[in-house]
Amino acid sequence: MNTTPTIDDILEGLIVALQNEIIPHLSNAKSVATAMMMQSLVQQVRQVLPMIDASIANEHNEMTRTLRETADVLGDVAGPEADRIRERAATLGSLADVPVPVDQQPVRDAHARLGYALQDTISDLDVLQRAGHASADAALNRVREYLMPTILQNIAAISVGGGMVGRG
Amino acid sequence: MEQAIINVLMRAEPGLADAKVLDLQPIPGGFSRETFRCDVSVTRGGAQETLPLIIRKNPPDVEAILNTSRAVEHDLIEALRMKTKVPVSRSYGYELDAAPFGEPAMVLERASGSGQTSALFNGGADEDQCEDVIRHLCEVLVELHSADISTVDPNGSLVDPRGVGIRAGSWDEYMDTTFEYYIGEYRTIAWDPVMMMLLDSFLTLRRHKPRPMPLAVVHGDFNPANFLYENGRVSALIDWENSRIGDPREDLGWMVLMDILSNTSVMSYPKKEGGFLAYYNSLTGNNITPEELGYFTLFGTANIAVPVHQSVARRIRKEHMLLLPLYLIQSSLPALPAMAQLMGYPGTTA
Repeated sequence: MNTTPTIDDILEGLIVALQNEIIPHLSNAKSVATAMMMQSLVQQVRQVLPMIDASIANEHNEMTRTLRETADVLGDVAGPEADRIRERAATLGSLADVPVPVDQQPVRDAHARLGYALQDTISDLDVLQRAGHASADAALNRVREYLMPTILQNIAAISVGGGMVGRG
Repeated sequence: MEQAIINVLMRAEPGLADAKVLDLQPIPGGFSRETFRCDVSVTRGGAQETLPLIIRKNPPDVEAILNTSRAVEHDLIEALRMKTKVPVSRSYGYELDAAPFGEPAMVLERASGSGQTSALFNGGADEDQCEDVIRHLCEVLVELHSADISTVDPNGSLVDPRGVGIRAGSWDEYMDTTFEYYIGEYRTIAWDPVMMMLLDSFLTLRRHKPRPMPLAVVHGDFNPANFLYENGRVSALIDWENSRIGDPREDLGWMVLMDILSNTSVMSYPKKEGGFLAYYNSLTGNNITPEELGYFTLFGTANIAVPVHQSVARRIRKEHMLLLPLYLIQSSLPALPAMAQLMGYPGTTA
């Protein structure tokens, strides 16, 4: 997958395009308001996206603990309500903690460095190929073996079909 | 802009009078220029007429995909219109001074015909015209490639219209200087390592030069969106901004790729002639092979990919904030598997 532009870059681009390329050409106040709501919602996505997975995992683990500790604090109170609280603590409250995703930025940075290393390898192999080293052909094939499925996966993720917008 | 349009018209036809611009509005006219349409009411020879026009205006330099000259484009269109049978829209003129239009611009006749070429394919409304239209499109391309270079481009403006150091004293010189351009510019388009497949294609092209062929005027963006049609005929080839002296196989190869990206099938027509390449070969005797077509699909892709991805790189660096380059990433990366296939990547069928 390409790590540039980032998801946040694309979302920012939508907000800016709405502001500069859409809103000035809208002819009624309701459409302008709708466009501004779209900007606001896209901004919400920008803010939520970086933290939602970690937050959900953290909250999952906090809620199981809270269910258990609530039942503990309640103690040996009798009655159906108290029984249900203890039941929840024993079932959902006993779910195992889930792993909290780590910050992906260092992984993405390393991914980019590795990608550029492969790029430079292609350049070096070209020099060796033109100098007649047959093994350089095979070595380039090894790089291509990595590239092909990778790019197919990338394109499957980003493609929406339908040809090129605005080109007949 | 209205007065600037009238000024260009009056320079082209000083006898026009009472010019008035009507219904000026922007339209989606390709990715590289700002395009507008309007009608101009005029009195010509004592009679009132309405001139349907297209205005193609450069974007600001930092936003531009192709930094080519509207004057060169105008001169080419007019040479083709006056000296060949290639159907083009008349170019009334251009304004290179940025002041009147905001940026350099040109004013063209708005040709008749439909630009919704997707309607010719996949069960579209005009599919019944497809065979005839694409047959004519092929004949038009042959007419273009057969045009005498010294007649159409007497000043040599089309040898290196981007000003990137390409020379065309011979086919070999053209190819070699173009490789230098592609490979030299790669550093300016490597906005992400995902682009390394393009670098691989540039280097692969240089290692596997095909047989030479006489150079020709090539359209440079011969794709399913760059012609108009009506009544089973091509009424105009449009969008000449990337035209240049080159190998005629470039236009064919670029159409192959754009057919894929556009979800069209120009290259499959005219079916009665065995498809576009077979018909082109029968008209020219060039005997272009599928392998050569594949090579020039890569070559033509490289030619467009360099300026397109330079534009993407400028957007990613936030030198401007247009949305288009971000969309171009989504719409252009699907070309990569086709390129990999043409390079014979493992796991692909060459």
